[in-house]
Amino acid sequence: MAGSTIDHLISVIVFLGALLVFISLFNQMIQTAILYQRHRYLATKCSDLLDNILLNPGIPADWGKNSTRTLCGFGLQDPEFTQYRLSPFSLMRLLSSSGEKVYYSRTGEWYSNVSWGIGGGYFLLQESECINYSLASKLLGINGTYGFQLAITPTVNVSIVEDKNVASYLRLNITVMGQGSPLAGASVDYLMFWMDSSEPVRNSTRTDSLGFAYLDFNGANGLPRIEVSQNKTAYMFIAKASLGGLHGIGYLSREIVTKAGNIIPFVENYGNGTVGTVLLAHKWGKNDPGPGDSQAALFFNATFYVLPDSFSPIKNVTVEGHVTYGERLDYYPLQIPTSQVGYLVVTYWTGREYGMVVMPWGIGTIGFSVVFGGDPSGQEWVVTDVRQVLVGDIAYQARLALWSLEGYGVVG
Amino acid sequence: MMRTIEVLLVIIIILGASMIASFFAVLPSPREVSPLNLRRLAFTTLQVLDLNYSLSRIVFMSPNDPAWNELQIALSACLPPNIIYNLTVYEVQSGNATELYKYMNISISNAESLGIASDAASYLVASSNVTFHVIPEKIGERGVGGTLYVLNCSDARGWWITGYTAQSLAQDLYNLLSPYFKTTVMVQNTTDFGKILNNNTLQGEVVQNAVVINTFGEAIPIPTEYCKQPYSNGNYANYSYFLGQQVRRYNWTWASIVGYPFYYVSNTGNFTGSDDQNTYGIYGMKQVGPAGLNAFLGGLDNQGYTYNNNGITGGPNDDPRLASVSLSSDAIYYCNYYGIYPSRYQTSTRALPSSINTTYHLRVTTYVFNPVGNWIPGAMYRHVFQGASNITGSLFALGLTRTPDIRLTALGLLCDYKPRLYRSEYTAANTSRLVVLQLGLLGGV
Repeated sequence: MAGSTIDHLISVIVFLGALLVFISLFNQMIQTAILYQRHRYLATKCSDLLDNILLNPGIPADWGKNSTRTLCGFGLQDPEFTQYRLSPFSLMRLLSSSGEKVYYSRTGEWYSNVSWGIGGGYFLLQESECINYSLASKLLGINGTYGFQLAITPTVNVSIVEDKNVASYLRLNITVMGQGSPLAGASVDYLMFWMDSSEPVRNSTRTDSLGFAYLDFNGANGLPRIEVSQNKTAYMFIAKASLGGLHGIGYLSREIVTKAGNIIPFVENYGNGTVGTVLLAHKWGKNDPGPGDSQAALFFNATFYVLPDSFSPIKNVTVEGHVTYGERLDYYPLQIPTSQVGYLVVTYWTGREYGMVVMPWGIGTIGFSVVFGGDPSGQEWVVTDVRQVLVGDIAYQARLALWSLEGYGVVG
Repeated sequence: MMRTIEVLLVIIIILGASMIASFFAVLPSPREVSPLNLRRLAFTTLQVLDLNYSLSRIVFMSPNDPAWNELQIALSACLPPNIIYNLTVYEVQSGNATELYKYMNISISNAESLGIASDAASYLVASSNVTFHVIPEKIGERGVGGTLYVLNCSDARGWWITGYTAQSLAQDLYNLLSPYFKTTVMVQNTTDFGKILNNNTLQGEVVQNAVVINTFGEAIPIPTEYCKQPYSNGNYANYSYFLGQQVRRYNWTWASIVGYPFYYVSNTGNFTGSDDQNTYGIYGMKQVGPAGLNAFLGGLDNQGYTYNNNGITGGPNDDPRLASVSLSSDAIYYCNYYGIYPSRYQTSTRALPSSINTTYHLRVTTYVFNPVGNWIPGAMYRHVFQGASNITGSLFALGLTRTPDIRLTALGLLCDYKPRLYRSEYTAANTSRLVVLQLGLLGGV
């Protein structure tokens, strides 16, 4: 009797133990399958959402150029084209998540920071003019369910640097790289905006098998002699590389900080869709003159160039003036038409020191990148998808990272 | 002991079930869980490379041309390093060939194989040496008629064409429809209009069997010679009766683009009095009222003239469905055929009743909009006398509310006349090639 009871007890314990082990095994298998399904669904959602953003211009279609109209539908397609061609103006209005916001105390406003002086290029748009992540999420119908980050980056990276080994004249080294390999044998059209020349110098060269080319501005081969030592001159250089239908663009502007500071262009607004207002501001807050620095007036000449497809810039607006470190003339408002893309080239000087900065008017004219949306770091599972797009005629890649905000609760 | 053995047996059974379930529950490989959409990436890559028709140009070059190397470099440069590709070109052959796409022996790739999973997109390119034409058949080429009159009278004013002028509408109609007619004549003033009403040609065209489009909306131009008795009887309803008779006599097709047809008459040179306005402040015209349409239909049917000012059209107050009328299936088909795409949904506030078909011996040959009950929002009415078989005059009426979409008029007329389009053959030799870009992912499982 006792033996059979013990046998019974042992068998029940062994059975229950085995059952628990098998239940956990099955449970793990099913959980893994469900997770696979959910991740797969997230990938499909990512692809759909990316197409949704890239293949519609939004409502109203001209929201990129007109800040007086309320955005009711989010999309980045260029309303004048079809397929994957993005509006250079709509991209400008996305609140950048790549750079730290900039506060300009003279206007008391915060500015979205797409570029703060990278290669002498600036793009700072007043925050209230920007489309923020929260609004875009709501308009896309994913607020509270998914988070995303959209990065629009040039496919071809045209890097331009001064060769410091050559001191007697300016040598520019140009490197043209694609995503997977250098752009060997690419044709490089370039424009040199030099303060001593009323018109930009235009010419072309070709990259070698490593995607590399250099230009000597030594007075030979039709190029002017440019000496940049002691900041006695300034320039802004733009190069457009082309090969087999692929176009990329890059720039280098010789931004220096003079004894009287330098100039930063802030985009104040886009107005009613015809002109936008740019403040040419004395660099402030981040670059106040220190003890011993001059507080003299800083003179400038600002020219807005319209850039047609022919890569031949057309002068559109030119102003001259000066700003000071004081309270009264700390910025100069300038109006730019929103009908066409281009760039603003600002030459500034005090005494015999010269510098230049550039601001694109339409993402793509000098190859800026835009990063918009939330931060994917720390998320449990992030999927990405990518499309090749055009901004103007420059090749870009649109990469969307998407993650669920509802954890495992997200179901199709 | 027996119990323990039984439990062990059960454990073995459950273990077997678990193993069998694991065998069948095949999970996808990690790469397939959240894959890149390679098909869309391939398609957008081809699109980017075809900027300014670069890809189209290269694809038609000799395989030894250095441009192919450039294309390969560009392709490698615009795809991420972990993507492997294969680009293949096919010739699109003519319809008589057994296979539509023939391999061109042109292929560029950066790997020997595309791994275990790949996806592809295709892109059709046309040679820059070839121009594709679409040649429309001319109405009247294979029969009678073939003249399109567009009323563009500078001495008349329109109504219910808000936002447009009759002249701008006339120009748009000319652009849309002139390729489909043997002769298109812009009737520049009411004097010229009077000439064609009397069977006089303006440019040597054939007056008989013509199509006359009134771009003045609810108003119709009236030549000075008709601004008198008896045409002025019944607030100029008698003039509409006369027009109906002429439409029957010359077997015209009269097209009314919007609103209530024949509601006003206009001649700015003749109606110059302080009361010569349409009661809404548009001078140079007189209000005829509903009697105009009734008289026109009477004239078309060769009935005796009577003044009848009872309105016959209907709107949403008569049937709420008229607030949103939809294009007929025929009209939608011809939208694609002729490449004219107006909005499928419109509002009809001046739909004609179907009873006019029996009253005036009309036959509807084309419904532009689907009828709503007894109301017809837009259609082509052909007049055929009882017992006869030949058509004697027609009315094309769009009883829509303002503002007119002139594309609907063009679409309606083309739907009814159905001129054919002769398209050049896209599969003619050496005109088109198909580029297929296949992408795969490098590394991993």
